[in-house]
Amino acid sequence: MSSVDEASRLVIEGLSRSFGETRALNSATLRVCPSEIHSLVGENGSGKSTLIKILSGVLRPDSGTLIWEGEVKQLTSPRSAQGMGVATVFQETLIVPEMTVRDNIYLGTDRLFRYGHRKGEEIAGARQALTDLGLDGLDLDQPMWTLSLAERQLTTVARAIIRPWRLLVLDEATSALDAQQRDRLFDYLRLARSQGKSILFTSHRMDEVLGLADRITVLRQGATVATMGASEASRRGILGHMSGREAHADADVVAETTPRHNGEQQHSSQPRPVLRVEELTLRAAAKPISVDVRAGEILGLAGLEGQGQVGFVECLCGLRRPVDGRVLALGDGGQSHTVRSYRGANRLGIRYVPRDRRYEGLFGPLSVFDNFAITLWSDLSRFGLLKRRQARKSFAAFAASSRLVSASPRRPISILSGGNQQKVLLGRWIAMRPRVLVVNDPLRGVDHNTKEELYGLFRRLADDGVAIIFLSTEIAELLTLTDQIAVFHEGSLVAVLPTEMSSDTDVVAAMFGDDKRHGGADD
Amino acid sequence: MTDSSPSAANVRSGSTLENVTAVVAANFTNALPYILVPVLFILSLIFIPGYFSKLSIISLLILASLLGLASLGQTMTIIAGGIDLSIPAVIGLSDIIVTQLYYKHWPLPVILLAIAGLAIVIGTISAVSSVLLHVHSLITSFGMSLVVSGVALEWSNGAVNGAVPGWLTNSVSAIGHTGPIPIPAIIIVWAVAAVLAVAFQRLTRVGRETYALGANPVAARLANVRSTWTLVVAFSISALCAAMVGVFFAGYSGIPDPTVGVPYFFLTITAVLIGGTSLLGGRGGYQRTVMGALIVAELTTLLVGVGFNASFQELALGILVIALTSTYGRELKVAAKI
Repeated sequence: MSSVDEASRLVIEGLSRSFGETRALNSATLRVCPSEIHSLVGENGSGKSTLIKILSGVLRPDSGTLIWEGEVKQLTSPRSAQGMGVATVFQETLIVPEMTVRDNIYLGTDRLFRYGHRKGEEIAGARQALTDLGLDGLDLDQPMWTLSLAERQLTTVARAIIRPWRLLVLDEATSALDAQQRDRLFDYLRLARSQGKSILFTSHRMDEVLGLADRITVLRQGATVATMGASEASRRGILGHMSGREAHADADVVAETTPRHNGEQQHSSQPRPVLRVEELTLRAAAKPISVDVRAGEILGLAGLEGQGQVGFVECLCGLRRPVDGRVLALGDGGQSHTVRSYRGANRLGIRYVPRDRRYEGLFGPLSVFDNFAITLWSDLSRFGLLKRRQARKSFAAFAASSRLVSASPRRPISILSGGNQQKVLLGRWIAMRPRVLVVNDPLRGVDHNTKEELYGLFRRLADDGVAIIFLSTEIAELLTLTDQIAVFHEGSLVAVLPTEMSSDTDVVAAMFGDDKRHGGADD
Repeated sequence: MTDSSPSAANVRSGSTLENVTAVVAANFTNALPYILVPVLFILSLIFIPGYFSKLSIISLLILASLLGLASLGQTMTIIAGGIDLSIPAVIGLSDIIVTQLYYKHWPLPVILLAIAGLAIVIGTISAVSSVLLHVHSLITSFGMSLVVSGVALEWSNGAVNGAVPGWLTNSVSAIGHTGPIPIPAIIIVWAVAAVLAVAFQRLTRVGRETYALGANPVAARLANVRSTWTLVVAFSISALCAAMVGVFFAGYSGIPDPTVGVPYFFLTITAVLIGGTSLLGGRGGYQRTVMGALIVAELTTLLVGVGFNASFQELALGILVIALTSTYGRELKVAAKI
């Protein structure tokens, strides 16, 4: 590859970055040439976004070198990256809804006391950029919030390309676009390539990666595992690199130490369904979802970021109204009730453990006991007075069964470790004897041992007949814990894989809309 | 596709020497209001000649009772994550109603029931409008305050005559008796109210929900906390307490005065903050506000006793608020570190 060195526009070597205990990037490498469209692929958490944030000056690496057109560079701010010639479109559509399209496009180019550009220049530049992207008809003076999501996304691309750039970085910049808009954008990118520019992009669609890229770099667990020419790459090959089928290490070790839930036993008795999803439509034009969840079943939910799995979970517990269809809670005697609100779902025994512990779950200043007992008081109070003794008993039983590590239930919950905080948040609902427990990525930031304990806790709950719906961003975790894995892609359920017969490659393939049972790509 | 972001999960409990001293420091700042109450009293004994008498102690306690009662509901609203700015207006209106209606020979129980009913209506409107309009109760209670004080001013316009029952005057007089007990009734009312308030916060469902709502409203909703009901209760208690203070003020002077509650705009918040209840919500308790009210009363008495004027008192209170709340702030940070 040394011959490429001189020709490379960008060379990244040994790039590492950690967040606390988590190693987001572990000695990653990347080379991007002039006149090249380069795709960066990997699963959730493989380090793509971190690499892009470092490349655009948002984050600083812990170590590693970045060589730009033959010179070693230190990026200290987004401005320094822009000055170098890197323009980035981030995954989150960063706009100011109240400002006009033109002001949004020129956001950040102003000097301290005067505008960086003349008004006429600005209008012409913005018009040109939007035309390049197929948005010729857009009124530059309309406020940003009046635009559709696709138009907003293209406007953020326009913001990037009005700057003098030699490397354009697109992080999931096509997620909201329809086929025509996407083709128009790709035409522009190919034109830019022919002018000697470089493009680095990530996408959750394998057909885009294979159709657009010249070369593909695969990241796994923060490290570069392969770089290949698009012509010599196959879907299966890329998916194999992403999931590390050959290496497999982590998933197998976990599976060995904690034997999977016994699926045979479950199916032989065929327990009754407790939750039925009927023709649920998450977004316009997405395929409706129908699925049953049985008592004692652990159903995993998987999908790349933003594919509808979170919306699905929110519909299940009444936090969000689906576009169409309904969620039914099925009683023991065959009666069914539609879930209409969060409170209604709770009354039906559907309990929800949110994703963000700190903002949606914990009462930071309150004690461990208070955090646990807050949901119990609706049952354990009489004329508004608390039955504290019963709540304490309930807490003691829970603390023992979950092996809660806490100096005293009267200490503030904020001093507990993440895993123990999560136990308390789970215990809050377990003590209410849920019929259905919906958990949204509960083991993020939880250390290994506590994770094992929580797996055990979930399994015991399932054995007691609780239906568990378990959304996770870690495939290994889903393979360890669940009975079936429901995979989401573009707002629809694309596959329900029986866990014991699936490998992580199967799951990853389905996540990229490449489910073998449905015969290839989605569109 | 995002990378897993750093979470606040790597906070671990440990027991190094550093942490032990941090815990001691945190406990000390926690205990600070309880230490200041006797310290300020002793300072008063030293600097004010002849201070140690029953009369001066009772005068001090009357002052603290008025403030303590007015701050009772404020403590609840602040713990719930809100704040009640209508307390002075409600005090003023209640003062007008008592003096005017009693002057017109209405029966006292009817007057008191009417005031209580009105207070609950006022508190409920502040709370419910805050929930429905998605604005902070700072705004809705301030609006309520303007309405209420407008009514009070209009009603009292030109009225200079008023009357109050003798026992009411007696209940706030330093030489007053409560039955056979040689202590004015307001102090006993405060003591009973304080016990009930602390019990309410610790032993009732809505009391615990007040803390949860103030600590994290999003999590409170997801944990099925009755947010609206909790706010209605907190603001109704606040208005009821303010109304009660208005009745006592009427006993104090006997003449209608719609502006009698004005100093309580800041004083109630001062007492709550000095006691150690946080404006962030979810932290503190009425037992702390009792200390806060005592500290404010003692400090005022001490400064008057040694000859400082009113403006200097405000200055001293301001410094105390900033000094104390900054140590409480530190305590939180330390707690988060362990």
